[in-house]
Amino acid sequence: MNNISKTLIVVIVTALFAGCIEQQKTPDQPINLVKMSGQDMIQRLGTGEIAGFIGWEPYPAIAITKGYGKPLFYSADIWKGHPCCVVAYDYHWYNNTRNADDILNRMALVQLKSVEYINNAKESGSPDHADLINYSMAFGGMTNSSAAELSLKDVQFVYSPNIPGTETFISKIMDFKIFDSNKWNQSGYKNASDYANHLITNRYVDWAVKNRENNLSSIALKETVTIRYGYLLNDIHELPFYVGWQKGWFRAVGINITMAPGTPFENGAFEMQKGFKTNSVDIGSLGIPPVIIHRINSNDFSVDDARVGVISGMNNEGSIIVVAGNITSLADLKGKTVGYPGPGTIQHVLFLMAADNAGLKVSY
Amino acid sequence: MKNNTERKGLVINILSLISFVILWHILVLLAREQIFNIPFMKMKDLPTPLETWYALVGSMFTHTYGPGFTYGIFDHIKASLVRVVQGGVLAFIIGVPVGIGIGYSRLIHNILNPIIEIVRNMPPMAWIPLAIFILVTGGSIFIVFIGVVFPIILNTIYGVRSTDARIIDAARTLGASEAQIVAKVLIPSAFPSIIAGLRIGFGVGWMAIVAAEMVIQSPVGLGYFIWNMGDLGRYAEMVAGMIVIGVVGYIMNISILLVQKRFVKWVD
Repeated sequence: MNNISKTLIVVIVTALFAGCIEQQKTPDQPINLVKMSGQDMIQRLGTGEIAGFIGWEPYPAIAITKGYGKPLFYSADIWKGHPCCVVAYDYHWYNNTRNADDILNRMALVQLKSVEYINNAKESGSPDHADLINYSMAFGGMTNSSAAELSLKDVQFVYSPNIPGTETFISKIMDFKIFDSNKWNQSGYKNASDYANHLITNRYVDWAVKNRENNLSSIALKETVTIRYGYLLNDIHELPFYVGWQKGWFRAVGINITMAPGTPFENGAFEMQKGFKTNSVDIGSLGIPPVIIHRINSNDFSVDDARVGVISGMNNEGSIIVVAGNITSLADLKGKTVGYPGPGTIQHVLFLMAADNAGLKVSY
Repeated sequence: MKNNTERKGLVINILSLISFVILWHILVLLAREQIFNIPFMKMKDLPTPLETWYALVGSMFTHTYGPGFTYGIFDHIKASLVRVVQGGVLAFIIGVPVGIGIGYSRLIHNILNPIIEIVRNMPPMAWIPLAIFILVTGGSIFIVFIGVVFPIILNTIYGVRSTDARIIDAARTLGASEAQIVAKVLIPSAFPSIIAGLRIGFGVGWMAIVAAEMVIQSPVGLGYFIWNMGDLGRYAEMVAGMIVIGVVGYIMNISILLVQKRFVKWVD
């Protein structure tokens, strides 16, 4: 026992020593990304615990209107027109649903209708503007209408999926070694383009565009179906879903929306792992990077349980790096803590891209 | 004779570990081949021991991929250990005097005991939300402190109360002051019990730090590592991190036992 103990102690001391040596190799003052919830980001920026955060709307808007921070970069400054959230379906649900294509056509149509409504109502002179602000406050968990106004400004609501943008995301995720290499090899995809084209289809949006002028009830499903829908907590990017739901447009086309177990999810990684992979989400909205990553990393390829397909876009852009008043550049964040929603989220990848452009290192 | 028994025990220990690893491997393979699965579990999603080993080796040291920089497991171990030691030392500095006071003085006992009896039943993890809100920094260390301090207080009280009253009387008869009685009689007498409390406390503190790091997150720490890997779907790395936590906790426990044996020679 004594000898074993001594050996183990030598091992741990050596390990710690090795850790010290390794520590010296760490790059000079990386920016430390730390995962936290949106509400935590706001609160910790307010108390000065963190120097900034990158989050989805409405968290940046809330922090800015409260005077806790200021925008350093809009995600459009990092990558103009980058894809963000999408609408995806579960393959297990698809294979077990007789009229899945009909349902997905109508989901895409409601998405299109909601996006058009929001884009018109965003104008302050629009008669629907007040309603839109109310929807934003309810879905985004906001109590301040100024924050709701601000949160809508930098989000581009879209319905078309962005295949070239998704290819770029896949390439970046490969560069950043986020994929589990064994799982990537099992997937059989040749490259980013091959993967993106297997993941996304335009066919449902094409159908929606053709039928955009039709009255919704005239193209309703013959029998109402119930869909277990998953979405993210307080994510303004997913406002088109909420608008369609509140306006009764899903019901009008014969789709009864119920909240999937676990909804609203804390982030897209959770929605993939706890929702789609466990087949408890039929259709849902989430960021494209969690879809890309967990369709590979969390998938059991013998049964393809994390296989999802993307039918439409939800939004482009719409994330902000918010920083404390004394920060004027990304370089000022060196050695400081910055909140983010978690590894593999769109904000994670965008922050890495911003740091790459600035020649900075980021620990996560 | 003793050596023989020890050797046999060691062989059984090693065989037990090897059997566990083989069983783990077989169960995962059977589940992946859809031959057998433990009910209500998704064994096929678990990495095999070999995959876990490769993940452990791959995560040992820091990596830089483009702008991204990931800490190695050694950095995570070090960060978690530093927090546990900081919380543990703080708990020792506060817990021992409090335990001696309660154990020796009826007045202090009556004042502090009701509070301690209520607060010690709150698990360290229950303090995490409060720590997030009330502490600007050091939340993880505070959680460790909560985990370690109560075993130290309780064991110190027990150690003080177990002191032979005749020795205290003898010291008093020989003219010892109260301070001298505490320093020369009570502390040496209670020391083995204090060390036992420290060992239990560090065990609780180690478990608490991992939970705390999952919630009160910092850029580095074993709890953070496990959570991050889980979020990325890197399950082999996640399991490797869990095993590291177990091994480090075990080493910490036997290290304190060794210290106890070496420095508390008047016991046994």
